[in-house]
Amino acid sequence: MHSALLLPARVLPARVLPARVLPARAWRVVLPALVAATIGLTGAPRPAAAADLHDAIRTTQQRVVKIFGAGGIANLHSYGTGFLVSDEGHIVTVWSHVLDGDVVTVVLNDGRRFYGKVLGAEPQLDLAVLKIDATDLPYFDLDQAATASPGSRVLGFGNLFKVATGDEPVSVLHGVISAVTKLTARRGRYEVPYDGPVYIVDAVTNNPGSAGGVLTTWDGQLLGMIGRELRDTDSHLWINYAIPIGELRDAIHSIRTGDFTPREEEEPDDNPQRYVATDFGIVLVPDVVYRTPAYVDDVLPGSAASQVGLQPDDLIVFVNGELVHSIRTLAVTLGRLEAEDDLRLIIRRGKALIPVEMRVPRREELQ
Amino acid sequence: MNRYCATLAIAALLLLCTTTRTFAQVDALEQEAFQQATALAGPSIVRIETIGGRDVVGELITGTGPTTGVVVSSDGYVITSSFNFIAQPAQILVTLPDDRRFTAEVVARDTSKMLTLLKVDVDGLEPLAATPKDDLRVGQWSLALGRTYSNTFPNLSVGIISALGRIDGKAIQTDAKVSPANYGGPLVDIEGRGMGILVPLSPQKSDETAGVEWYDSGIGFAVPLEDIYAVLPRLKAGEDLAPGRMGVTFEDTGPLAGEAKIEQVRPLSPADEAGLAAGDVIVEIDDEVIDRIPRLRQVLGTRYAGDTINVAVRRDDEIVRTDVELVAELSAYEPAFLGILPVRLPRDADATGVEIRHVYSDSPAATAGLEKRDVITAIDGTPVSTAADLLKELGRKLPDTTLTLAWRRGDAEQTAEVTLGTMPDELAEELAAASIPAPDEEAERPERGHLSRQLAGDERRYWAYVPDQLNLDYDYGLLVWLHPTGDTMESDILEQWRAICERRGIILVGPKAGNISGWTPDDAGFVKAVIEEMRQTYPIDPARIAVHGFAGGGNFAHFVGFRNRELIRGISTVAAPIRIPPPSNTPEYRLQLHFISGEEDALAEPIEETVEGLRQMGYPTTWISLPETGRAYPDEATIERLAGWLDQLDRL
Repeated sequence: MHSALLLPARVLPARVLPARVLPARAWRVVLPALVAATIGLTGAPRPAAAADLHDAIRTTQQRVVKIFGAGGIANLHSYGTGFLVSDEGHIVTVWSHVLDGDVVTVVLNDGRRFYGKVLGAEPQLDLAVLKIDATDLPYFDLDQAATASPGSRVLGFGNLFKVATGDEPVSVLHGVISAVTKLTARRGRYEVPYDGPVYIVDAVTNNPGSAGGVLTTWDGQLLGMIGRELRDTDSHLWINYAIPIGELRDAIHSIRTGDFTPREEEEPDDNPQRYVATDFGIVLVPDVVYRTPAYVDDVLPGSAASQVGLQPDDLIVFVNGELVHSIRTLAVTLGRLEAEDDLRLIIRRGKALIPVEMRVPRREELQ
Repeated sequence: MNRYCATLAIAALLLLCTTTRTFAQVDALEQEAFQQATALAGPSIVRIETIGGRDVVGELITGTGPTTGVVVSSDGYVITSSFNFIAQPAQILVTLPDDRRFTAEVVARDTSKMLTLLKVDVDGLEPLAATPKDDLRVGQWSLALGRTYSNTFPNLSVGIISALGRIDGKAIQTDAKVSPANYGGPLVDIEGRGMGILVPLSPQKSDETAGVEWYDSGIGFAVPLEDIYAVLPRLKAGEDLAPGRMGVTFEDTGPLAGEAKIEQVRPLSPADEAGLAAGDVIVEIDDEVIDRIPRLRQVLGTRYAGDTINVAVRRDDEIVRTDVELVAELSAYEPAFLGILPVRLPRDADATGVEIRHVYSDSPAATAGLEKRDVITAIDGTPVSTAADLLKELGRKLPDTTLTLAWRRGDAEQTAEVTLGTMPDELAEELAAASIPAPDEEAERPERGHLSRQLAGDERRYWAYVPDQLNLDYDYGLLVWLHPTGDTMESDILEQWRAICERRGIILVGPKAGNISGWTPDDAGFVKAVIEEMRQTYPIDPARIAVHGFAGGGNFAHFVGFRNRELIRGISTVAAPIRIPPPSNTPEYRLQLHFISGEEDALAEPIEETVEGLRQMGYPTTWISLPETGRAYPDEATIERLAGWLDQLDRL
């Protein structure tokens, strides 16, 4: 669920305010007037901000590379984006089918072409590091990477739809950070392994070819790596996101220094079914449709559920803080419980929401 | 801290920048303004979650993620987008920004602007202040906010107001990214006030998922919050709000349509009861000048059923004013029935009355004593010389209307009072085919027999069967065969229908789906073009054009038929219930339906429900249910009965 809270406190409402200067109603009139005045004051043929923004974009584009590799059949595109993280040709990009060949072609911003070799990859982070044989290259210093909060203006850089060829710089898009949240997404039918924090962006940054590009602040500070085209697990919408550099930094460093061991694959059985509702004395209504609400049909006498006062017709709406969309989602959560865990339910009875708590029994207690 | 202070803060910072700040710093200040506006509106934005419900609606897989709502009253009322409940969930939960959770009840819905009002049992909430509509300007910053990713801080997308008064005046448009991530949330201005509530809307469609296909496209809509507050007392009282209808039609309602000249007034509709008549030109509604139909749509778009509007019409150079109380549903229109079939005359015949080919037993015409070969000459004193004239007179009348009928039998003139009835559901009578004389062999005639053709400029093909005995002096019925998925059934259909076509004067045409694996909505235009081409080449009776389909082709026949009611008079299907609600029956289109189902078919029950539903809507509907039959194209005897129905489409 979208529960990660990474917001620095400063964007939240508390804020020290200066004394009264203008009546509030005048504000909407004042803004255009002020902007107009500022234009007048700067007076230069190229306004300072536009110059700043232009410079930030130029600097960033020089550090972003275009990658061409495997794919090109069916719906698989054969191109992507990456960015330089050292002056000696280390390139960070996403781990995807584009890298399936032994070597890929890397085209620098100045149009030079190199063969890139995959140094290593961390599928859990959707991360790969390439190496090209070149020196004195412009690059992002990962230790200087920034962080940002919702509402921050950002720029996205990537070779979406391979619009850029040769020495053409990659495309730049602008937007704001919509949210900072944990990724719950899928590709086709498959859940995506990465479930850490991401920046959700309100620009359409994640298009074919953009993956491996960068998200920066408006003054060009590196924020994150643009991910692939994914759909949100809950809403089924295409999402535009980037993985914060802080999540990738250690793995990039390890791959570069060669002491990298990919993380252990997490337990493949994500539906262990260790416990079921009747283990707690809860008999649910028959699961007849795809999203049958988790109504209690009966409570077994003497059971844990009867001791905490569950009743027939109660609707289980939350289990350990997660919304229970249906009997299926409840079954998955119960299946993952461990002995001695707390089982916290919130049930709806009439209009009231009632919290109850039970201890998860050990297996031998159930015999 | 309140909104007032925040405004001052931004203004103060901006004042500073006039002297010392650079543009980059203005950018930074704007960014802070976005964040502050979001934080200011935050306390009024709640998270909505649902439990249970359908997993697929139409083509759309419904989401299970959280959605957003906006507090509009401190005593627990929350307005949101109806899209958030398309799955018809069993339970709705609302989480406040302070993480308190409540169950929510649906209080009322607005099916015009696609909003739902929820109530939770809590007090002391902070309703969102509305931006006055007069202050809205195209180009203003607008922030689309949601509570879907985090309950601590709203998710936001920044854009500007792109347009005002969109979707018939119901919505403002923004280029901020609008999607299920913020449907139901607010579009706020730079001061954190609510400009509107984000909803999916479409200028073309009005169903519950309309407009979702435009998510994140830079075309998003919000219903002005001030408009919502204006009707909030009605919603709070539990009143569902629906688009208001008056019951008039116009020749052209497209974007280029001119003055609002009424083409037809639906009998018993509010417009009818207010005394509006065909030919009136609407020039004003509630003191707003109506110069063209698009303006009329703008003005009526924001009116609800139950509202009373003052309409000024121009009638014979006079201005007439009247009040019209709008309704949600126009009462079902059922065509009136006299009980005769007219004789089909040669195309160039000079008729002075409508000769009767057949009188239905127990019909009003039979009761009045009419007989075969009588010639109807006048209705209520208005002379009628052709079947089209007669239809024009009867088509406007409702069942139970009494009128005076004049007819000629031999040389004798007769009159009688007739009370009109309704079309019978059964076609009990065997009807002899209306014979068409053999053609003049010398005459030059277009291609006949079994043909295969391609529409000019289109990849798609169609086949046809034109009777060998084609006589260009007479009009023919047109039966459009829409094949089931995966099989054109060309030879089977030809074999079953060839003799019937010759005997009853029917031309058969079979368009082929662009992709044999199924009809797509895109094929509807192709089918229409095929019908038009047949009409140009052959003498076709506009009163006897029908579409006929089996299984998947039947579903498509419903789609094509209801979409082209100005062209198609009959829809006949085998093993195909109606899946989308049909439009209400109207006098301007005289559509009849015919269903065939097998009793052993799992579809028998939905087809029966379809038939009953259509009859309730006033559509003349005939149904043949075949015992001991599954899902199959029917046998010869049943097809013969269907051909009989086809031969009576021009009954009056």
